[in-house]
Parts: sequence; structure tokens; C-alpha cells
Amino acid sequence: MLAGILLALIAGALVSLQNIFNAKVNEHTGSWTTTTLVLGMGFAASLLMGLIMEGKNMFTLQHMQPWYWLSGMIGVGVVICLVQATRILGATYAISIVLTSQLGFALLWDSLGWLGLAKVPFSFNQLIGVLIIVGGILVFKLGGARESRA
Amino acid sequence: MRGILFAFLGGACITLQGVANARISQDIGTWQAATITQLTGFIMALAIALMVRDGKKHGFRKSKPLYLTGGAFAAFVIFSEVTAIQNIGVTLTISALLIAQLCLTFVIDVRGWFGVAKQKMKLPQFIGIGMMILGVVVLKF
Repeated sequence: MLAGILLALIAGALVSLQNIFNAKVNEHTGSWTTTTLVLGMGFAASLLMGLIMEGKNMFTLQHMQPWYWLSGMIGVGVVICLVQATRILGATYAISIVLTSQLGFALLWDSLGWLGLAKVPFSFNQLIGVLIIVGGILVFKLGGARESRA
Repeated sequence: MRGILFAFLGGACITLQGVANARISQDIGTWQAATITQLTGFIMALAIALMVRDGKKHGFRKSKPLYLTGGAFAAFVIFSEVTAIQNIGVTLTISALLIAQLCLTFVIDVRGWFGVAKQKMKLPQFIGIGMMILGVVVLKF
């Protein structure tokens, strides 16, 4: 379990760095141009890491389903939603809602065991835990006049 | 109201992305999943970028090369996130991920690293981080 938490923390730290770097690029160009670069870099890095770690096996896609190809479009949906939400609400409120929604759906999908992932049974502890975290996010984001960034 | 809906859907999509990647990884492997999903995302974003043409000329050249590589982190983000989801479930993964994300952003803001405008630490941010960690403890035990 500790390994899982550690990996999640690493992922979060990298997301933070990536958001800052991407915002810096975005200062000089448009959000679609930035998104194209970001996804292109991500693709190249994933391909490279896959080749290093797995060699030729990288290209044997067992049990490949057609919809897997389409899942990349979710990322495009993310960009559209975040850009629009930030434009309408401002960064602080937009990000507060985005983070809350992220956690809410995480709890929902764990409880449903959706897409064939291991089901994590819903418990009252989980709900209380998520509500406390959401409370923390709101205090963090809305308390004091900070300029906001995710 | 529209802004709230966009933000709500955006959050749903971010979590869905993690869940979908975890599912796809079960079948074809994690690096393969990261490569394929970002390839299709890249193609779509490129098509949109070519249509809206929002990029200013020489925009990339004005950015520091380091910042242009930010996207490459996604390979490791996806790998870590997928492995974590498979080990500890979606809720705990997203909770820990968000705490690390907010804490590091906070430190960078306070220190003014990467040329971001420096910001003062305030009590609400400490209370917020404390509550988030408490929430994870309650979530798990």
C-alpha cells in the first residue's frame, strides 16, 4: 500500500511541475498549440520509456480493443473544459470545483468498480474522508487572496 | 452556471482519464497505454490547433527549452498513477496525488521558483493542507 501512495505522490508532484511549465509555454502561444506540444512530448517520452523497458514487446498489443485508440480524446475534453471554466469563473473557483469533482468521481468509480477495475466497497469512512479533503481544498484555495494555479 | 458545469466535467474527465488508462494498461501494458492514448490525443489536438491557428509565430522559441519538455512528464505521471490505482484504488490515489500536487505548487509559489510571482504563506493554506492529510487518514483507517 505504501508503494501505491508513494507513486501517487510522485505523480502529483510531476503534475504540479508540468502545470507550471505548460503555463509558461502558454504565455507565448495559444492553448491548442500548447496542448499539441504537451501531448506530443508525452507520446514521445512514453514511446521511448516503453522501448527502453520492454524492447520489441512494446509493439505486441495483446487484447487491444478499438476503443482504446479513442481514449486519448478524453485529454482533449479536459483541455476544453478547463480553458472554458477558467475563462468564465477565474482560476481559483474553477480549480476548486475541478479538484472537488475529481475526488467525487474517484469515489464513485471505486464504488462501482467500473471498467472492470477492482471494486473498492463504499464505506462511510471513505465518504467522510473525501468530504474532509474537499473541505481542505476549499480552505486552501478560497482562504486568503492568493493567485491560483492548480 | 456554464462555468461550473465545465469545471465539473473537467474534473470528471481527469479522473476518467486515470481510470481508463488503468483499464487499458491491464490489457496491453502501461507504457503501451500511455503511448497510444497520448498519440490519439496529440493527433486530435494538432487537428484543432491547425483549425483555430491560435499559435503565435515563434511562440515556442520565446519559451525556455526546459518548459517545452513539460509534456514529457506525463509518461511518468501516467505510469505512476496507473500503478497506484491498481494497487490502492482510485479514491486514495487521486487524494494522495492532489495533496502532493497542491503542496508542491504551494512551495513553488512561496519560493518563487521558475520565475513565478512570489506569494506569502497564509494560515488558511496550512489549515487546508492539514485537513487534506487528515482526510486521507480517515479515508484509509
